[in-house]
Amino acid sequence: MALSPLVMPSSADPSRTASPLKRQTSTVPSSSNGTPAFTASRVTIQSGQPPTLDPIEQMNEDEKRKYVKGKKLGEGTYANVYLGHSRSDPNVLVAIKKIKVQQQYNDGMAPDAIRELKYLQELRHPNIISLLSVFSSKDQNLNLVLEYLPLGDLEMLIRDVDRVRYGTADIKAWMGMLARAVWWCHDNFVLHRDIKPNNLLIAADGEVKLADFGLARGFADPGYRMTANVITRWYRPPELLFGARHYGGAVDIWSVGMVFAELIIRSPYLPGNTEVEQIALISKQIGTPTEDVWPGVTSLPQYTVPSEVTPVWGKEAYMQRFGAVGPEGVDFLIKTLALNPKKRITARGMLEHRWWHTDPKPTRKEDLPRKAGSDGEEKMGADLKRRNGVIEEENRGGKVARKLDFGQAR
Amino acid sequence: MSRKPAAGTLRASAALPGSAVGGTSSSSALPTLSSDDMCPVCKTIRYLNKDMEFLINPECYHSMCVACVNRLFNEGPNQCPYAGCHKTLRRKGFRSAFFGDLSVEREVDLRRRVALVFNQVEDDFETLEAYNDYLQQVEDLTFDLVNGSESKRREVEATLQQYEAEHKADIERNRKAGREADEQSRRRLAAERDAARQRRLDAMREAEEEKLERVRNREAEIDSLAKGQPIGTQFKRRGQANRALEAAVNATATATAGLSGSLADVGKLSIRGLKEKKKAPAPEGPYDPFGGMDFATSRFKFVPGTLSHPSIERYKTDPQHIQHITGGYGFEEYTARALFEAFAGLGVFIEDEKEVGIGLSAAEVASMSAGIAAVGDRMDLD
Repeated sequence: MALSPLVMPSSADPSRTASPLKRQTSTVPSSSNGTPAFTASRVTIQSGQPPTLDPIEQMNEDEKRKYVKGKKLGEGTYANVYLGHSRSDPNVLVAIKKIKVQQQYNDGMAPDAIRELKYLQELRHPNIISLLSVFSSKDQNLNLVLEYLPLGDLEMLIRDVDRVRYGTADIKAWMGMLARAVWWCHDNFVLHRDIKPNNLLIAADGEVKLADFGLARGFADPGYRMTANVITRWYRPPELLFGARHYGGAVDIWSVGMVFAELIIRSPYLPGNTEVEQIALISKQIGTPTEDVWPGVTSLPQYTVPSEVTPVWGKEAYMQRFGAVGPEGVDFLIKTLALNPKKRITARGMLEHRWWHTDPKPTRKEDLPRKAGSDGEEKMGADLKRRNGVIEEENRGGKVARKLDFGQAR
Repeated sequence: MSRKPAAGTLRASAALPGSAVGGTSSSSALPTLSSDDMCPVCKTIRYLNKDMEFLINPECYHSMCVACVNRLFNEGPNQCPYAGCHKTLRRKGFRSAFFGDLSVEREVDLRRRVALVFNQVEDDFETLEAYNDYLQQVEDLTFDLVNGSESKRREVEATLQQYEAEHKADIERNRKAGREADEQSRRRLAAERDAARQRRLDAMREAEEEKLERVRNREAEIDSLAKGQPIGTQFKRRGQANRALEAAVNATATATAGLSGSLADVGKLSIRGLKEKKKAPAPEGPYDPFGGMDFATSRFKFVPGTLSHPSIERYKTDPQHIQHITGGYGFEEYTARALFEAFAGLGVFIEDEKEVGIGLSAAEVASMSAGIAAVGDRMDLD
């Protein structure tokens, strides 16, 4: 950077331009890789800066100056979250997620930060949290400026059985927003790989937004091995539990189905304490994955199922437990919870399902139930600071008992 | 028609709307009624006709006495008798001016007309700023209408009529809402007036009772004096009664003050007139699961199952790679992505975008370059 030929010491020619960057405007043609040349308007804000910054540093500085960091919303091992606002318009609130420099990855940025950055900046959708800006602060900390979502997350609403009441129309509205977010990710070839209620944040207008892309990745090329150790266990599909290294969007769909079930019964549908227990729960509640229902399943590396084989449950069994959403809703649920990922409904298929068009009509987002009180703010702080990690059930807040996971210890 | 107004009046009339003689000067040159007590048309003076009354017609605001109006217009529409004014006037249009200064009269009429059309209220706007902008816009229109040149006025009039025709329903709705608000405030005022009268009556009755009480007390005092008892307690009671009276008077005073306060509120209610209107909530259509978004590709169309390559087929058929099938790996997704990436960036000309001045934020630039980087090199994390 120091060798950048573009930087002209301001003393060299003080009479012509006040800032050396103004010269660059004329001397730097836009490079072939799309790096923009500086425009005059950008130069005007830079008055306070020392003139020796190279263009990249200057850009970073400008970006940083656009936001004012406010109070801290939460602090975690992975990141601190601050409330902030735009300098030009104090009414525009943002959440600034400052990712800590980690000992573990001291020779570069943490991979989850890279993932989050890489995929969030390419996805723009009303149901996906938007990344407004990125800058690094003085000690090389990465700061992600995210849109501010003050109303907490879906988990908060699901858990607060006493004070929050919601109906089928509300579930349908939430599921619609979730399905759209997943569809958008998949249509843009991004796997989220950590869909769960506390990654579904709620905006001020009630819109649900998918957040936490710390485990996201693009669809892999054929033959490329992906890790099977993703998605919080309760929401993890059987193929990942069996250690499949080549999977597709179907893994997210299973999580969507699990969230759907959880929304209906208001408690985690299959809360396994270990992976073995998770498989056992799936086998018992949904059906044992066998060669009959899922050809080739036995070839997966960690294929083990309980010896007692439960046939895949039919619609009647689901109707008993999830009947509140009606037969079409149950059909939707069954399709998302197909054991064989090839048989599982696709994200687009979900949105084309008949359920959306049956009564009741989804609630308008403004009318959706929201949690009383102001703990949403802290909740966003808590949700964002979480190490978007492999298994983080310990961090589910005080409401759920801490679960020790010896099987997972590495 | 033979008698024309005097030259002095003619000069004044030259500035009138619609007059053919140099119509660009300001309308402050309109004659005032108080200044001359002579009818400019028939030259009758007030000395001869004590209760002479002047009428104007909002077509041209030329004043003339009732006798002239009757004489000229009883037979039907006729031309304005002022020299140079070719407006056709009707008997029906004549009325007596409210203001002595006819330019004020005219401005008030115009403002009334504009306010009837632009009758939005602040609640119709998203923000106060929008409302203020609207008020400014209306005021600009009004100013042009009042003070503008002939061509300007005609232009504004056309705008006004067009807007009126286009927003008939809105205007009618606002008018109704305004009437209802007026009605409400009128009712509230009446109720307050009733309450105030009631309080006044109560206060009077109390005062009356007080008087009686005092008389009774006095009699009791005299009685007790006659009986030789101490009188301190009696006096104290009288003091209390006095205070009660004061309190009653105060209550009436505050009630009247409240009344005048609400009167001021009523005056504020009549502020109306706007252009941009808040959109009424659109009737909700059927639920769109896709949320109105589509991810259609414009440069190519991917038909599942049509695209294949030996290097992919290998993974599909080779039993060694059976995991691709059982794990739910999407080959179609792969081919779709390959196609998408092949076409990505085509039709994007950075030079053009720079010229148009698309405001790219640094984040967008970063995402653009990151997108390029993502396709360019494999920095994938497992």
